[in-house]
Amino acid sequence: MKSPAISTNDEIKSSDSLIVNNLKVWFPIKSGVIQRTIGYVKAVDGVSFSVKKNETLGVVGESGSGKTTLARAILRLIKPKDGSVYFSGVNVVKANRRQMKMLRRKMQIIFQDPYASLDPRQTVSSLLREAMLIHGITKNKNEATQKSLELLGKVGLDEEHLYRFPHEFSGGQRQRIAVARALVANAEFLILDEPTSFLDVSVQASVLNLLKDLQKEFNLTYLFITHNLAVVHHMSDRVAVMYLGKIVELADKDSIYHDPKHPYTYQLMAAIPLPEPEAKKKEVLLEGDVPSPINIPPGCRFHPRCKYATEKCRKEEPSLVERDGHLVACHSEVDFSAKKKTGESANE
Amino acid sequence: MNDQANENETVLEIRNLKVNFHTYRGEVKALNGVDLKLRTKEVLALVGESGCGKSVTVQTLIGLLPENAFVLEGEMILNGKDLLKNTKEEMRVLRSHTLAIVFQDPMTFLNPVLTIGTQLEEVFTLQKDLLAEATTIEKSKRELKFADFIKRESFETPHKNVKASRREIKKVTKKLCADILSLVKLPDPERILKQYPFELSGGMRQRAMIAMALARRPSIFIADEITTALDVTIQAQILHLLKELRDKIDASTLMITHDLSVAAETADRIAVMYGGNVVEVTFTPDLFKKPLHPYTQMLLNAIPNIAKPTDRLESIPGTVPEMINPPFGCRFHPRCKYAMDVCTKERPKLEEVEKGHEVACYLY
Amino acid sequence: MKRFFKGRSGELAARWADLRFALYLMRRNPLVLVGSALSIFFIVLALVANLIVDPALADQFKFAQSYGWNNPLFSWGPGTASLGGKEVFYLGTDGYGRDLLKMIILAIPLDIGLAFFITLSAAAFGITIGALAGYAGGVIDEAVLRITDIFFAFPGLLLALVFAAVFGRTITNLAFAVLLVWWPTYVRLMRGQVLAEKEKTYVEALKALGAGHFRTLFRHIIPNSIYPILVQMTLDLGGVILTFSALMFLGFSPSPALPELGNLASDGIAHVFTAPWLIFFPGLTILIIALAFNLLGDGLRDVLDPRLRR
Repeated sequence: MKSPAISTNDEIKSSDSLIVNNLKVWFPIKSGVIQRTIGYVKAVDGVSFSVKKNETLGVVGESGSGKTTLARAILRLIKPKDGSVYFSGVNVVKANRRQMKMLRRKMQIIFQDPYASLDPRQTVSSLLREAMLIHGITKNKNEATQKSLELLGKVGLDEEHLYRFPHEFSGGQRQRIAVARALVANAEFLILDEPTSFLDVSVQASVLNLLKDLQKEFNLTYLFITHNLAVVHHMSDRVAVMYLGKIVELADKDSIYHDPKHPYTYQLMAAIPLPEPEAKKKEVLLEGDVPSPINIPPGCRFHPRCKYATEKCRKEEPSLVERDGHLVACHSEVDFSAKKKTGESANE
Repeated sequence: MNDQANENETVLEIRNLKVNFHTYRGEVKALNGVDLKLRTKEVLALVGESGCGKSVTVQTLIGLLPENAFVLEGEMILNGKDLLKNTKEEMRVLRSHTLAIVFQDPMTFLNPVLTIGTQLEEVFTLQKDLLAEATTIEKSKRELKFADFIKRESFETPHKNVKASRREIKKVTKKLCADILSLVKLPDPERILKQYPFELSGGMRQRAMIAMALARRPSIFIADEITTALDVTIQAQILHLLKELRDKIDASTLMITHDLSVAAETADRIAVMYGGNVVEVTFTPDLFKKPLHPYTQMLLNAIPNIAKPTDRLESIPGTVPEMINPPFGCRFHPRCKYAMDVCTKERPKLEEVEKGHEVACYLY
Repeated sequence: MKRFFKGRSGELAARWADLRFALYLMRRNPLVLVGSALSIFFIVLALVANLIVDPALADQFKFAQSYGWNNPLFSWGPGTASLGGKEVFYLGTDGYGRDLLKMIILAIPLDIGLAFFITLSAAAFGITIGALAGYAGGVIDEAVLRITDIFFAFPGLLLALVFAAVFGRTITNLAFAVLLVWWPTYVRLMRGQVLAEKEKTYVEALKALGAGHFRTLFRHIIPNSIYPILVQMTLDLGGVILTFSALMFLGFSPSPALPELGNLASDGIAHVFTAPWLIFFPGLTILIIALAFNLLGDGLRDVLDPRLRR
């Protein structure tokens, strides 16, 4: 499933579920007694992509990449500075109250920390009922209980769990509850913000399986955000790699791993520890620390750490263009496939 | 990967360690007879999910169990002495130069109001012999490098005989600090010594912590989930650093992690823990090629593997056992597809089934 | 009634189990048990005081006895019997010849009632304003903060004096004065709690769900932030009694014969060497009440500490 290039005007294809166009989220830095804005933290700085119906788009990046902010901006939990987000024919960024109500029903999010995303004073039954109330599903108590039990069954929980408090559940179970809540009003689009990073490996496996099953059963579209590259490979159809607020590469999952075109993607893939002790280890090391979005380097954001940086890279910011079925933002067209075949290190 | 581990001696041996906790809801039987052997100069990874008891094992090892914990039975033998019989003071001394531990979150571990330099100096101050030797070297105008001290067991000049002024000792300490920071690949050590922990990034703090651990010249280096909180590229850097340091230091490393892939990359041998027991121990390649214990097998199938993608991951049915009323016999039996009658009666002991490969299971 | 419970029985059962755990924690500490028992005792006493003791007794001034007041031939201390041997004054008599024990009992509903009134009003007021300020932020928050700053600057005693001078020396006015000095603490406390709570993930989850501000604030944030306020309230119960009694003691009392603990004590100041029981027993009562509620507050704080419970 190779992705076509994204047009930078607000073109809406019927096969797309979500279209993000040039989204920018800037946080002002204030200083002084009168709190003047002296600068911005450009957490998300011009991101464009689309997500097809029923597909899973994975977004990977390290800390400071802006992926978490991106998720929140798409749902308008944070107000973007610029750009548009189209879903169901509505621009989320500029939606009015009535439209937001509809959007809040159809677009949901599962958070990373299962221990903090549920109100500790609410039982499962109460929180499911509340979701129903907010979305105007049903006020009849019996119907509500019925539907709650149905949802719990779908996520692998039982009747006995209905009247328990969040602290009586394990992390994996809490995530399931969060998923049940998201599905109360027949959501279509789910953002999964690191849903399994706090979970144990075996629990993660069952939650990921559940997510895949639900996607098939309810025709859901997922935006899967994580820093765990193995998980994102397992779950996604296409993967976008973010660095310092921009997408540097977007391709289908196999191409991203086996044929990366951006130097950062290459380093990222090389850094993943594999459960294969015999695998030949390339001595590739990305030097330096993950940067912060307060001081963004001029030109290409990755150039201070890039081994292939040229003068052009220091001055001009590359745009996301298509190359061999990938979307890449890089001036130097490095061919990493050659290096992979010979097993050479990337240190030149 | 060091295949000669078999020949080396055992530095640390844990035998049948049982530790319980008193809580409101009852007795938590956290450790149920842990058996573990750590050999000289090897890297042993202790792998397990939450609740398996790896943190409790580490806490017992360094002598920092909480108040409501107590050791039921078992032994922890380090260099011939049973650690469990040590007094608090003896454990403190051990922690200052034999057992070094680096934790997951350096931010909560480093003192936020002291500079890195101050904290590093503190570690050196406790090692008078080292300082004495260092001043001697300094006086004779030879080059002073920390790396020289790592492998030394005793020093040529006992500290009582060396007369060194405070200033000289301070100078030497500072040199050693700067040198050790460059050993852990921190750029511009002089500047870092003057900085506070919050001024450093996560990866740099972790390196500083490793430096502080190394400064103790430990015989056992414990890394408790040190890369869990780091980004994947920084994690790669730290793991690479550990591999490099491995050849330079004399210590055995006990690496605690929940990530089997990290263990695959760094460890010589891997010990898998479940429900308060070690269920399988063997050399790293063997664990992945031929996992014997059912839990290990299912665990490996639950990890998404880029090299071998599947549609569904195998999840382990059931949940982690609740430690107040753990299952009788083998604690894994309720979730095990091969469970037999004997599994419910008595806990299987860790036995060597093949060369260097130990399992605790009645299947073998 | 039955229908009301049918859908909620599971819910109630869950909350009941939760409460039992909380009570268990409280039972473990003996001091807390003592405090709770005493607190309950005083509350009950406050409710039935006017039934056990005839309030009219407060207005009876037995001149004959008060005449023999400082007379060493007659001693009206604790345990003495009246002229004619009809009653025994277990705690002695006060300056007006009234049975001190009975006066103390009559004073309790007034003091406890005031304590609850002032604390609850201050809390109610402070919670709403504090929560709104913390949640809304911005200009509203700034405005509320400045206003509370102004009120914090008021010395309580002076305010009471001003009130008494301007509006007259009644219980209500004095209660008002104390209330005015008391409420800003709750605003600050609640605001701080709400500020912290609204950053939590579950609040963001509610927003993503489409929950409105009202629902989020009143059904989720406030109930989760209220624990320190409850603790503060129990501590304040003792504090208010002390403050009010102090005011009475200093002479702000509307009428010198009013049965109020501080007032009763103030009578005894002049006779501290000859009739020490006058100051001692009312003072001791104040101490015990304040201590009881304080201990209760301590216990509550331990119980409600989120780290211990969850």
